[in-house]
Amino acid sequence: MHFSPRRAACALPLAILLALLATPAAALGPGDPAPAWSAPALAGGDAVSLAAARGKVVYLDFWASWCVPCRTSLPLLEELRREFPPERFAVVAVNVDREPDAGRRFLEKAKVGYPSASDPEGRIPARFGVETMPTSFLIDGSGVIRFVHRGFQKSDVPELRERIAELVGQ
Amino acid sequence: MRRLALALLPCLALAGTACAPVRPWERDVLARPEMAFVPDPLEAKRSDHIYFSKEGSLPGGEAGGGGCGCN
Repeated sequence: MHFSPRRAACALPLAILLALLATPAAALGPGDPAPAWSAPALAGGDAVSLAAARGKVVYLDFWASWCVPCRTSLPLLEELRREFPPERFAVVAVNVDREPDAGRRFLEKAKVGYPSASDPEGRIPARFGVETMPTSFLIDGSGVIRFVHRGFQKSDVPELRERIAELVGQ
Repeated sequence: MRRLALALLPCLALAGTACAPVRPWERDVLARPEMAFVPDPLEAKRSDHIYFSKEGSLPGGEAGGGGCGCN
C-alpha cells in the first residue's frame, strides 16, 4: 500500500478519535440512575444483583482484599446494616479482586451478612466510574444515586448513618 | 524528511492510544508491600526524616498509600 503523507494526515484525526473513545466512562454522581448489574456471588450460590434490593435504600460498596481501608469498612458496614430494618435498607458489595480466592479468604474472616458479588474483570466499577478504592454509592429506593463515598475511615460512619437514616426515613 | 515525519506522526498518535491507565480496581499488584520503594514503613519514615532534615525542606514523601489508590 502506498502510504502518502496526505493519507497519513487523514489518519491522524482517526487516531485522535480512537484515543478519545478509549477514555473511561465518567464517574457517576448524585442524581444519576444506578446502572443495573448482576454478577456471581463471591461466596458461591445465587447471583448478586442490584435489582434484588429494588425498593430499598442500598449502600453499594466496591471493595478488594488488598485495599487497606476495606479492612476497616467491612465490619463497620455490617454494623450499619444491622441498625436499619432489612426491608428498607440493604448493603450490597462488589469484590473486584482479580484473584477471587483472595477476596473469599478476606470475606471468611470479615464474616459479614450482606452479599458480595465477584467481578474480577472490573466491569461493574467501570460502569459506575469508580475513581478510588474503596468507593461506595448510596442509592435510594427508586434506583437513583444520592451520595458517593470515596475512601473509608471509621470517623465517616456518623455521616453515613445520618445519610442512610434520612433516605430510609428514620 | 518532511514526508517521513508526516507519515510517522499518525503512527505515534496510534501508539498513544495503546497507553491504558491502570484503573483503581486493577492496583492489586501495586498495593503489595514489595512494590513500595522502601518496603518497610518504619525504614521509609526514617529515611524520609533524614532526607527532609538534611535538605531543609518540607516532608516530600507524604503521599498516602503504596499506589493502591486507597487513600
